[in-house]
Amino acid sequence: MTVADVITAVLLPAGAVFCLLGALGLLRFPDIVSRLHAAAKAQTLGLMLILVGTAVQMPLRYAPVLLLVVLFQLLTAPITSQIVGRTAYRVQALDRGALFRDELADRLARDGTPVDERPPREDADR
Amino acid sequence: MTRRENAHRVLRRLPMVGWLWLLWILLWGSVGPVVLVGGLLVAAAVVGSFFLPPVLPGAVPRPLAIGRLLVDLLKDLVGSGVTVAWQVLRYGGKTSTAIVEVPLHVDSDLLITAVAELTTIAPGTLVVEIDRRRQRLYVHALPVRDETDLARRRKAVQTVERRVARAVGRGRRTGAAGDDTSGSSDHPDQGGSTP
Repeated sequence: MTVADVITAVLLPAGAVFCLLGALGLLRFPDIVSRLHAAAKAQTLGLMLILVGTAVQMPLRYAPVLLLVVLFQLLTAPITSQIVGRTAYRVQALDRGALFRDELADRLARDGTPVDERPPREDADR
Repeated sequence: MTRRENAHRVLRRLPMVGWLWLLWILLWGSVGPVVLVGGLLVAAAVVGSFFLPPVLPGAVPRPLAIGRLLVDLLKDLVGSGVTVAWQVLRYGGKTSTAIVEVPLHVDSDLLITAVAELTTIAPGTLVVEIDRRRQRLYVHALPVRDETDLARRRKAVQTVERRVARAVGRGRRTGAAGDDTSGSSDHPDQGGSTP
């Protein structure tokens, strides 16, 4: 068993566990934005671990391509989550019961454009 | 347009051409003459036909600081990844979140974008709104249970901001702490003002 094998043996299951927990968070968390934390982030970390674990097993000339996948995943995943999170806030798809404090709502109230506190529509999220 | 200006414009785009060329070679996975020449032509064509304004004129990227930024990012990724994973298992639907207002000190589009992007990459924090005029980020953080957590999260984002400023900044952090005149006096802004 080489060093590379050990690295792979650690990273692949670890990555799989993070992906599993991401999926579990998608089911368990209360609203869209919290689910984004689980789906977009835990998943990204899981994917990174799996790809690095794979890269050490590949011939050296293929490894950079896998690292490119990691790089572009890191660059693009935040952008989509940010758009989704921003939209979720604006259409009132947040579970306000889970919010300890909402300083954006405080700010909007001070600016004279308070957040419409009506309960989310039935079809907004689940 | 003088010849010097022209030369300067070409020179400024060379890094982008180089990066696209490298990308092309990596994707092909071989270094035959066709790949090399073709890649260079494609890279030059792409850069030539899609004009991008300079994002941060005069910025000096510091390789060492960028390296530290990446290492710290990886540490953050793993650390907060474990935290969020634990929240999934332990609390699930009963987790507690908050939207934290983070005043920034940097004042350039590139730096604010970089801070927002790095913040969103890390599990447990997600930028839901950027107030460009007041230089503020609104970060949805998970888990946040009390005021201490809130202040800690604000500090964490500002730490990322400092690292980014150090990595590509011009030696000093540009801009003041924001033109917030509407008064945050009615608002316990603890941790918001860095020394």
